[in-house]
Amino acid sequence: MVALIKRVLLMAALLAAASALGQGERGLETQIKAAFLYKFGGFVEWPAGAFTRADSTFTIGVLGADGVAAELERLVAGRTVHGRAIAVQKLKRGEPLAGLHLLFIGQPEASRLADILATAKGQPLLIVTETEDALARGSMINFITVEDKVRFDVALPPAERGHLRISSRLLAVARKVITS
Amino acid sequence: MGRTGKTRKWPLTWMSALSFLGLASVASSAFAQQANPGLADLSLEELANLQITSVSRRAERLSDAAASIFAITGDDIRRSGVTSLPEALRLAPNLQVARVDARQYAISARGFNSTTANKLLVLIDGRTVYTPLFSGVFWDAQDVFLEDVQRIEVISGPGATLWGANAVNGIINVISRPASETKGLLLFAGAGNRESGIGARYGIDLAGGALRVYGKGFDRDNTVRANGTNVPDGWHNGQAGFRADWGTPANGFTLHGDAYRGTIDQLAPGDVRISGGNLLARWSRDLAAGSHLQVQAYFDQTEREIPGSFLERLATFDLELQHAFQPFAGHLVTWGAGHRSARDRVTNSAGLAFLPASVTQRWSNLFIQDEIALGERLRFTAGVKAASNPYTGWELLPSARLAWKVDANQMVWGALSRAVRAPARLDRDLFIPGQPPFLLSGGSDFRAEIANVLELGYRAQPSPRLSYSLTAFRADYDRLRSLEPIGGGALVIGNKMKARTNGLEAWGNFQASANWRLSAGATFLDEHRSFRADSGDTNLAGAGNDPKRQFVLRSSLDLPGQQEFDVMARHVSRLPSPAVPSYTAVDARYAWRLQKELEISVTAQNLFDKRHPESGAIATRSEIERGVFLKVKWSH
Repeated sequence: MVALIKRVLLMAALLAAASALGQGERGLETQIKAAFLYKFGGFVEWPAGAFTRADSTFTIGVLGADGVAAELERLVAGRTVHGRAIAVQKLKRGEPLAGLHLLFIGQPEASRLADILATAKGQPLLIVTETEDALARGSMINFITVEDKVRFDVALPPAERGHLRISSRLLAVARKVITS
Repeated sequence: MGRTGKTRKWPLTWMSALSFLGLASVASSAFAQQANPGLADLSLEELANLQITSVSRRAERLSDAAASIFAITGDDIRRSGVTSLPEALRLAPNLQVARVDARQYAISARGFNSTTANKLLVLIDGRTVYTPLFSGVFWDAQDVFLEDVQRIEVISGPGATLWGANAVNGIINVISRPASETKGLLLFAGAGNRESGIGARYGIDLAGGALRVYGKGFDRDNTVRANGTNVPDGWHNGQAGFRADWGTPANGFTLHGDAYRGTIDQLAPGDVRISGGNLLARWSRDLAAGSHLQVQAYFDQTEREIPGSFLERLATFDLELQHAFQPFAGHLVTWGAGHRSARDRVTNSAGLAFLPASVTQRWSNLFIQDEIALGERLRFTAGVKAASNPYTGWELLPSARLAWKVDANQMVWGALSRAVRAPARLDRDLFIPGQPPFLLSGGSDFRAEIANVLELGYRAQPSPRLSYSLTAFRADYDRLRSLEPIGGGALVIGNKMKARTNGLEAWGNFQASANWRLSAGATFLDEHRSFRADSGDTNLAGAGNDPKRQFVLRSSLDLPGQQEFDVMARHVSRLPSPAVPSYTAVDARYAWRLQKELEISVTAQNLFDKRHPESGAIATRSEIERGVFLKVKWSH
């Protein structure tokens, strides 16, 4: 038992050292999703009313995916979407969605998808998820991992209801496009 | 410890180290070429084609489980070149896998390993593969179409509250891909010095869903004794099956089935014959926000004839219901119920008898578990299962787990569980020889074996390249099976062995570069067995034969031009009784995808070792020979 405890302590010390070295980095999957979220903005047209002023920021809300939010904040620094500065908002459960242009809902919040979508109905808000069958439940773009690659499916009808126009270039990269 | 083994195997360790060094030079030049481009500057197409490491995916998916869980991915299986389910299980560092002969394996977690190991629960696509004869698994009757396996989850430690009795030391959960992911034709054929095999699968869209059918067959060569003489245990097997899915796994209907037939050579009095089939239906539905219902039923029929020992026909029907919902904010309640009935008919022999020969047995269970979020980072899970068995009635299996997410990349967890191994026919109904006077009799009052287990774990992904998991455990077992003398040299099965195990399980993945991944795993096990004061048994080895240490190191390298090179080295320390020397086995696979559809691979097992034993006493055991296997796979 003493030998076992020693072994545990030694491993713990090694691992503490390893984690100190790697602090702050994020998983590649998280990085790729964050990059996609930023890129999506450039391939979607929002109705004029979605921006209150000519210099309004392009606001991305992230719910239930703090890792993606942190990565996104780092990635969008100094970048723009449609010539607008980008703001990233880490959302808490139940927080209002007003003023957002893009909303990413992480897996932990997937079970509440229906409530969130009901709140956002009709608003020009691009909804992106990472949950199986989320498109069937009203999401517009859904990430899916296929053969170790991050791919996405697109559902057009909910986007059209929100008066969002998704460019054909984005649709060309999608794995699947649902049109009706 | 293992002094003889060490000196004997030193050259192998040295040679395997050398092969890794050889790889290191190739991979480090690949690493140097790889820049890390700002992902935001990549095009949509480029982003969609980036390979994410299984490391992060695995860590993210599994990071919430407060248990010692290891996932073998379909990709891991493919890249290992293995051709059978037990061989694929060698990829899990938290399992002990010992090959006994051409068809038999001893597989366990956290000790007590033997061909009749009884503390592990194994599920194939939701179907429990379990024999009520000894509450374990006949591995020779469990085959899957490996190319269509999505992942194998291996949980070491008790999972009894959710999974039920027999999930004392671990759970193996084999999960195949939905039919929608296996459309098209896949053909493979392979041949080598130890085995040959062929297989085909075809998947199509069907009535709003998808269907696949498959068939496979193999011939495994006989094994040899230490002195080189042949053991007549060659094995021929064929299996076919299908899976159909409508909807998604979370919201849909699944139907699958398999049928198999095999023959294993046996010198006298005749060949062993195995056959069987199963059919499973599962329906699942999201009822409302956060509420999910699943109902599953299956029928399984299996037959085993071992001339000279016994013939068994077993038919099992199983029905399960599971419902999860959120009664209040912060609570996720899962409850369920299950019932299984099995008709087991044994034709006894002069050598041994199960009495009564034919029985119909029933098992029922009811469980409830609440997962409570205590703030943002702390999660407490408490649950209890009541499970009945035909021998001792209802048993209670409670557990409590606490998970603390230190930050997005680290989790600490702890668990306390009580698990039960319900009596099996082997404990109660077995008699040797087949007629009185019996030398060995089943224990008419044999009770359930009990384990109380404490686990502590830590999992982290300190960087996108590195993830690891550590688990320490202590388990106290009571009422383990013993053989009690009753005078005149006769024995009766009793419950008078106790044991305490302490152990450590560690594994990690390191993505050295975009095209080179390293994984390592280690398990340490200290086992102290003893008999109760009133026991007359003296053979502590009867409870299983376990290595104290086990190490595995894997390297997966992608080479230019659609080529792959994989190496796995395993070291298993000596087994005490019967003594089996420690061994180090190195396996390697090279694959080349000539076209999009066509892949050729060569797999070598036990590369630096002519043959070695993994289980059993020297006079009667088989040794595992070096194997080379060439495989051609075509998929469209």
